Amino acid sequence: MSSSRDDFGIAIRSALLKKGARQKFSLVFLLFLAIIIFLLDIYQVKFIKFSKILINDGIYRLTNISTAPLKLLPKINETIKETAFAVEENKNLKTKLKELQNKEFQVEFLKNQNDSLRRILESDVKIKGKSILAKVLLDKDSPYLKSIIINRGSKSGINKGMPVVDGNYLVGKIVEVNYLSSRVLLLNDLNSRIPVTFGEESIQAILSGIGEKKPMLEYLPELYEPYGNLTVFTSGKDGVFLPGIPVGKTEMDELNVKVKLFSDPNQLSFVTVQLIKTNKDNF
Amino acid sequence: MAIIYKNFKASVINSLPLLILYYLSLSEIDTHFSNMFEILSFNLQIIIIYYWMLKNSSVLGNGHIFFAGIINDVVMGLPLGISSISYLTVSFVASYIRQVTVNISLFTDWFTFLLAIFFSNMVYLILILNFSDLQISYVDMSYNAFFTFLFYPLIWTVFNFYKKIMFLRADD
Repeated sequence: MSSSRDDFGIAIRSALLKKGARQKFSLVFLLFLAIIIFLLDIYQVKFIKFSKILINDGIYRLTNISTAPLKLLPKINETIKETAFAVEENKNLKTKLKELQNKEFQVEFLKNQNDSLRRILESDVKIKGKSILAKVLLDKDSPYLKSIIINRGSKSGINKGMPVVDGNYLVGKIVEVNYLSSRVLLLNDLNSRIPVTFGEESIQAILSGIGEKKPMLEYLPELYEPYGNLTVFTSGKDGVFLPGIPVGKTEMDELNVKVKLFSDPNQLSFVTVQLIKTNKDNF
Repeated sequence: MAIIYKNFKASVINSLPLLILYYLSLSEIDTHFSNMFEILSFNLQIIIIYYWMLKNSSVLGNGHIFFAGIINDVVMGLPLGISSISYLTVSFVASYIRQVTVNISLFTDWFTFLLAIFFSNMVYLILILNFSDLQISYVDMSYNAFFTFLFYPLIWTVFNFYKKIMFLRADD
């Protein structure tokens, strides 16, 4: 009994007094110090009051600094949420904007298409005979070949050599026929040769494509003095084209006579194919 | 250079419990989770002090415990020294247990921790009730003590794992 009491006492003493290698103060010393500070604070001693003010200020600032990152956390969280929301919203708005733009383009396209079709329908059809409206499928501008692809082929009764007009104006002729599509060789293509007539004297000539926007008049009469602003029509001499289809206006280019086409070959969206019987020999 | 780096790394790792103790005392962070669970609160400082004073007193040191208590009092608005006394009481119980115990296991630690909580809270209550006008809720205090006791094994496991990566000398 006495031994265990001794052990208890030794343990208590050791716990209170032993400092250890690294500790500068014993537990009992610090306990006494804490009790003294407590009592001084409780009884509002002037010295401790003043010290407490200084300690409070220092510690409050330290607390403020140490908790600053934690205070930022909700803000950061909020910012992240807002940013995520903004990103999502931006994405949605972009999609909507794109959709609207697409719709706008579609409306514009349909409007233009409608205008174009209306022009075709309302135009004075001078060209007699059966014809078929075709949509330009491909208008890829090639430096070598000036042609377009239309969405009508042999199924629609199209044959090689048929004249193709834009409204009332000649734009070219069919050179390749597929079942559902055809290729139209445009007047400005290097391979295009069309017999035409122009002027009061009904001058006969050949309209030859030169690969540029404006084809050139060839085989003019020897003594003919050309001048500009004369309307050029198809002559129908080849037996392929109907006579009197307007082609363009003459323009002088130094000694050459060029023709400014009525229908811009680069701006075709709908064309009409004249379903006339063509003589294969002539073609 | 390698030795300096090793020493630096060792001092950083070894100081982490002390830094946590200071930070918990200094910052507004508390282990009160009333927003999650109305009665849930526990005193992590006491667990840190008890565990490290029991396992290796050189990690914290009584001087640091004293200062951490002073800081806690300032931040919490308690009379100066009250937390220091409370913490040093825990330290004292831990030191005593270390003196009288040979085999240390989680169970013995946990059981003796109950004594530390009891004495710590008793000292705290005596001082508050007798020397200040502060009103405290006994129910809240009881819940705090209960959850502190309850969470000890969890924190014990974490610290035990952490202790393995520390560069500790044999305790003095």
